[in-house]
Amino acid sequence: MTAGASISSNLGRLARRPEAGSLVGLIVIYIFFAILGGQVFLGAPGWSSWLNMAAEVGTIALPVGLLMIAGELDISVGSVLPASSLTVAILSGRWGLPIYIGIAGGLGVGLAVGLFNGLLVTRTRIPSLILTIGSMFGVMGLTLGFTIWIAGSTGVFIVPDPLTKTLLGSALGGMFQVGIFWWAGFVVVIYGLLHLSTWGNWIFALGGDKESARNAGIPTQKLTIQLYMLSGFAAAFVGVTQVITFGSAQVAAGSSFIFNSIMCVVIGGVILTGGAGSVIGIVLGTMTFAIVNQGIFFSGLDPNFGSIIIGALLLTAVLSNDTFRAMALSYVAKKK
Amino acid sequence: MKKTIKFVLAAALLASTATVALADGAKIFVVGGKADDPFWSIVKRGAEDAGKVVSAEGGKVVWLAPQNYDNLGVDAAELIRQAIDQKADAIVAPDWAPAAMDPAFQAVKAAGIPFIVYNAGGIQAADRLGAMNYVGAVDYLGGVAGGDYLAKAGHKSGVCVNSLPGAANIEDYCKGFGDGIKKAGGKSDVLPLPATAEGNVTAVAQAVRAYLLQHPDVDAIFATANLDAVGIVQGIAQAGKAGKAHLCGINFDQAILAQIAAGTQDCAIDQQGYQQGFYAVSILNGYVNYGLSIPTREILTGPGVVDNTNIKATMAGAKGGTR
Repeated sequence: MTAGASISSNLGRLARRPEAGSLVGLIVIYIFFAILGGQVFLGAPGWSSWLNMAAEVGTIALPVGLLMIAGELDISVGSVLPASSLTVAILSGRWGLPIYIGIAGGLGVGLAVGLFNGLLVTRTRIPSLILTIGSMFGVMGLTLGFTIWIAGSTGVFIVPDPLTKTLLGSALGGMFQVGIFWWAGFVVVIYGLLHLSTWGNWIFALGGDKESARNAGIPTQKLTIQLYMLSGFAAAFVGVTQVITFGSAQVAAGSSFIFNSIMCVVIGGVILTGGAGSVIGIVLGTMTFAIVNQGIFFSGLDPNFGSIIIGALLLTAVLSNDTFRAMALSYVAKKK
Repeated sequence: MKKTIKFVLAAALLASTATVALADGAKIFVVGGKADDPFWSIVKRGAEDAGKVVSAEGGKVVWLAPQNYDNLGVDAAELIRQAIDQKADAIVAPDWAPAAMDPAFQAVKAAGIPFIVYNAGGIQAADRLGAMNYVGAVDYLGGVAGGDYLAKAGHKSGVCVNSLPGAANIEDYCKGFGDGIKKAGGKSDVLPLPATAEGNVTAVAQAVRAYLLQHPDVDAIFATANLDAVGIVQGIAQAGKAGKAHLCGINFDQAILAQIAAGTQDCAIDQQGYQQGFYAVSILNGYVNYGLSIPTREILTGPGVVDNTNIKATMAGAKGGTR
């Protein structure tokens, strides 16, 4: 009897974890594509293929997830990415400045856009969705305008030195891009920030109830600005790794990262209204998203229907998250 | 007051007769894209180089371009009308948006001014509007050239990477590529990318890589956008297919020329914008001044192929603003 009770209590505890639904989703999706994709998908080529995808969108999804836990959105990441790539390419490729200046410039663009977003979100009553759509178009326009003005073309090019290429744009064994390790680094740091520090508790408090958080003495404005700067930085970082990897920066890039990063976060069990979520969940959600995206090409399914499968996945994920949440709540209710 | 007006009118009349007296060569108006557009700056260069002969014979070439591309069809139609008003001897213009621009072309015809449709519209537009000729490339044939090139080099199992499913010109490229390979006895497929890959070069690279791993016999790949070509080269390398899977693409930029020079890309298909400006102006100049004609209808300026045999000259041309 006691053994049975402890098993059910363990299961209950597992189901109460916010990432439980995402973990189940990830396993189901992986098995599905493993059956269709076969040996190539199960081996190193398959793993590196979806991990390379996951690393980029995952790096952006982490801070976007923090913002969503805090009850805000950031649409501008889609325009920060090409802005950062082009800054690096113009500073170090076209003008020949040292690469560290180019990279600092690229990352600086991300931080500046984040600061701008954070200041406006905290100083105005405009919803962050609308505000960051606005800043997205603003940054897009500036990127296009300045690129044409400086380079006379919508693409700028750079040949990075071997060390920079190794650190930011190479692939281990010709397969696993270094971005995967950078992503792992981001995961560790952001896990520490969200789940082990007071700062992380503040984020949950902010997403739970902004007024109470402020009354409890949490510097909500400063916190919001920091979160936006973090997401700007992460998007700019991916922009830097892309331009170092491919040597070519184009104005019309990055837009897909907006919805992709939000999808990863939502599949990872973060509640859209804020106040709940976890880094592990976001990582699981990102992996699921990447496996589906790459799995389509390994599976022999008609890629013309790829977008349908991705859309269906998102809806299923949200539904299963809701189911798990309801289960968890009813479990707590029973205990009372 | 009246006197001043009379004086201004008289002065204007004098000035206009003076220009007429000076310019007894052909006054050719060319409607095109913005001069800071990387493609159109090359077309303009071609028109200006042909304009050197026009000037030597006492005429001139005037380049008319819209301020921006926000309202392209209407703006370009307006530019054609301006050319008529300024008493053009001949007009060159693209038929970008037939609905908005065809009435302007009909006005040119009605005014009895000889004209050539170039860059967009095809020979169909020239026939419909009564133009002397069409000077330009055809998207479909660009694809055919890519398929033909790779198949003749022995790479007969092809795939066309379509990162913008639904875009008419990309569909034309892919259809052409497939037909080009099939004609040479090969087979070809299309790899459409999902919306989540839009504007993401890593997604292109990983999609191509996954496709190559799952279809090990594929050895000919076609790219329909500049950034795609850069991503595809990475995808080929990560699939362990470098030197086995061969890439051709539509258009080129500095990064792609570097890939061709390095041997990671086999060829690029070019519509050769310089030729469009150059030949359209030359043909009209000869016609206006001496009644010369070119009986060949539909002057194709593309597809031109850039590969390792002409990469040096192409790079020099890119530096000099002619490619």
